[in-house]
Amino acid sequence: MHRRIVGWVLLCLWAGQMSRAQEFKVWNRTVQVHGFASQGFVYTDKNNWLTMNTSQGSGAMTDMGLNMSAQLTDRFRVGAQVYDRNLGQLGQWHPSLDWAAGDYRFTNWFGIRAGKVKTSLGLYNDSQDLDFLHVFALLPPSVYPTDLRDTTIAHAGGDLYGNVPLRHQLGDLSYTAYAGHRSDSIYSGYPYLLTQWKVYFHNLGGLQYGGDLRWSTPVKGLLMGASRMNEETTGQGQFVDSFNPSAGLVPYQVSTTTSWTNQFYGEYVVQRLRIDAEYRRKAFGQPYGGNSSVNDDVRGWYVAGSYRIVRKVQVGTYYSHYTLTNVIVGPMRAVSPDQIDTSLPQNHIYDKVISARIDLNRFWNVKIEGHFMDGYAAGPYPNGFYPQVNPNGFTPNTNALILKTGFHF
Amino acid sequence: MKPSRLLITAGFMIVGALNVIAGDVKIIGNVSVKADSISTGELKSVFLLQRRTLKDGSAVVPVLEKSGATHEAFLRQYLDRGSEEIHTYYQGLVFTGKGLMPKELNSDTEVVAYVARTRGAIGYVSGGASTEGVKVLVVSDGRGAERTLLTRVEPEYPETLQRLQIGGVVRLAVTISPKGAVENVALLGGNPILAEAATKAVKQWVYAPGPSQTTIEVTMPFESHR
Repeated sequence: MHRRIVGWVLLCLWAGQMSRAQEFKVWNRTVQVHGFASQGFVYTDKNNWLTMNTSQGSGAMTDMGLNMSAQLTDRFRVGAQVYDRNLGQLGQWHPSLDWAAGDYRFTNWFGIRAGKVKTSLGLYNDSQDLDFLHVFALLPPSVYPTDLRDTTIAHAGGDLYGNVPLRHQLGDLSYTAYAGHRSDSIYSGYPYLLTQWKVYFHNLGGLQYGGDLRWSTPVKGLLMGASRMNEETTGQGQFVDSFNPSAGLVPYQVSTTTSWTNQFYGEYVVQRLRIDAEYRRKAFGQPYGGNSSVNDDVRGWYVAGSYRIVRKVQVGTYYSHYTLTNVIVGPMRAVSPDQIDTSLPQNHIYDKVISARIDLNRFWNVKIEGHFMDGYAAGPYPNGFYPQVNPNGFTPNTNALILKTGFHF
Repeated sequence: MKPSRLLITAGFMIVGALNVIAGDVKIIGNVSVKADSISTGELKSVFLLQRRTLKDGSAVVPVLEKSGATHEAFLRQYLDRGSEEIHTYYQGLVFTGKGLMPKELNSDTEVVAYVARTRGAIGYVSGGASTEGVKVLVVSDGRGAERTLLTRVEPEYPETLQRLQIGGVVRLAVTISPKGAVENVALLGGNPILAEAATKAVKQWVYAPGPSQTTIEVTMPFESHR
């Protein structure tokens, strides 16, 4: 641990130097280089969390990214970013191309991005990995579950976007419409959850399309918006059939019958105060065998507030409310009862959070955060709590302490 | 002095009702920027990288100061954000592939020099900064509020310039109080000696009362050939 701390200090000092040399010229075009990294430590008093052995204290919470961008003409910009993380059993240091796109802006109200593009969904979907942008060490898990980031984070395809001022001083509208192919890492939360049933994915993903509309209202600092995302997900891999385990690993395939997400949000920023609120509902279904299907309904919302006490210190708090219901449709319902009672701890997580962030300099911050969680929602769809790292079962409540530091340039 | 030979043509063109920049911040643009004024909405959109052209079609690119009182005043007044918040906003665009970090410079002098040599550049400097080589843009509130001129005093054409047949157009940003008094006159362009005469006259003007402090741009031609 001591060596790791020393390493981080040296890295941050190096980043401070890097920050002075983040541009260079290629063929008379300026190329900007930016990067970030963060390191967290998590301790929980009860259940292990986020696939880490947090009840013993875990530092397996690291991520980093590096990007380069250039404005080639007045209208055309290109760039790319690589991202890598290790979060307990997730990520496992397999780097990915986070985004890589060309962006052509025809007019103020119409532009096109094409390539691998971050998906616009709510206030923070596209920036959820960027620790240094946020007061909180973890964004509200009910809407931004970090273990499931891959399910929404980006698509290979394109965006149409623009900004339209409204008449009569009614503010302006920004829109994004997108379509493309989403590829989940097989080292993300959902594939990991399924390993408990000896299902091992080779690939997971599919068509993703939708849109986002946000209104900068005439009220100073008030933004409101709505997003919609549709997905058609398929996955291939192998599994061990529990009715015939002697056959070993046999081919496995899964596909969704329906999958959509609606999100509504508002943001109010006045001087040093920021208040955010979002609601997300994700509904999806997939075949369950015997002409049946399983349908999950995930609903989450949060209200968050943060305040900059002095230039380098911010404090924040949020309440995050997450529920999950699960219904079987078809003959299999007889053997698999509905899980619709959201008052049970296995079907909800209510998380109260307090947080503080200190900016040591313009590039380096430290955060401390407390989570007080009621419920664990360890059902057929994950959100932080996994049976594999809790082999003795779950307790209803979990308190967590997160220490995190990050730098960027 | 004989003011009778002054021929101040048709008088004074009020280009539009304009809301002034706060005390000590001037918005400046490269000479390639066609517009003489910019609305607060446009200014905000340009600096939030949401638009790259003005209403008149001028392509623009923002340039900021890194820190300081002028920087803070500009951000608070036009972008509704502090310097940390705007930096975070730009980083959000940069790291999600939706924008580049705009140019940030250390001083008024650097900003003026950069804007002067960079096509389409728009920046801001303190009220007292030299703006040689760039154009000063007047910021309107976009509402088109008008003020009615009640009392007008004509400027005196400086004898020397008149004799030498030196004329030209003077552009002034005139700040009017809610009660109608001229509170401040700032030079936007023109011969300094003519501007002095124009300013002296305009300071005596009286407008009808209005709902709020307003700034208008006044264009005053001095014709030397008559």
